[in-house]
Amino acid sequence: MRLVRYVYPDYRTYAPAPGGFNRSPWSGFEGEIDRLFETARRSFPGAGAAPTQIPVDLYEDQANTYVRAELPGVNRDDINVEVSDGRLNIRAVRKTPATPAADAPDSTAAEKTFSFSRTVNLSAEVQTDRIGAAFENGVLTVTLPKREEAKPKKITVAVK
Amino acid sequence: MSLFNSILPSLNREPAASCATSAVKPAYDVQETPEAYRLTVQLPGVAKDGLELTAEDNEIRITGRRGWTQPESWTPLYRETTDAAYELVLTHENEIDAGKIAAELRDGVLYVTLPKAEALKPRKIAVS
Repeated sequence: MRLVRYVYPDYRTYAPAPGGFNRSPWSGFEGEIDRLFETARRSFPGAGAAPTQIPVDLYEDQANTYVRAELPGVNRDDINVEVSDGRLNIRAVRKTPATPAADAPDSTAAEKTFSFSRTVNLSAEVQTDRIGAAFENGVLTVTLPKREEAKPKKITVAVK
Repeated sequence: MSLFNSILPSLNREPAASCATSAVKPAYDVQETPEAYRLTVQLPGVAKDGLELTAEDNEIRITGRRGWTQPESWTPLYRETTDAAYELVLTHENEIDAGKIAAELRDGVLYVTLPKAEALKPRKIAVS
């Protein structure tokens, strides 16, 4: 995790090298193993989804189902939430403003855009006409109200 | 066994030392200009008051706690993200002017400008 570019290991990295008393002679090899584990760990869910897919969480309570999607760096106006055929589709475009390149400060690089989307299947019990959405700190929360029939009902039965 | 440990010091260390922390490393990007390094860190769900940016001698540490907690009545059905805090530590060789660091948090993305120290900037020397 340095500002410096990663250098591929060569034979000297793995070879036991005489170092100081504090430095393990295998430290190069250990660092390499740690890096491999860190790379492998990233591919697990929770450590980050595929880059072009929006990571989503689904929650439920008695009245609603909730979809929370992480959309960092996206403007509120560039988020498009659609429901059709029992599917919820979230589309977003991240616009990176043009920044002059490091080697040529005078040149104006074009604005970069990156779009990503995600589709979630909805169950039949969602009231599609009362869906709400909120965007805060780069996280979109879509609230999907359940139909009256699907809500758990409490019936009191009089015992004689 | 102690002989093994003395020959291979790595046997003494914690298994998977790098995995020990519960914090997540956020996605980040560093760009260099002649004047400064521009750091972009993606911290979805972090509010301004949950964010901490510390610049020490040779490292920059960014920690972000998520501003949202799951309400009691909500039941998670499917998760792809974690509730863990973000932590990013970047080391450098004292080449950043810590007094002039500027940071901005917008829509879950942190933009940090790390100005280079005066001694490192390219300087034109006129030849007489």
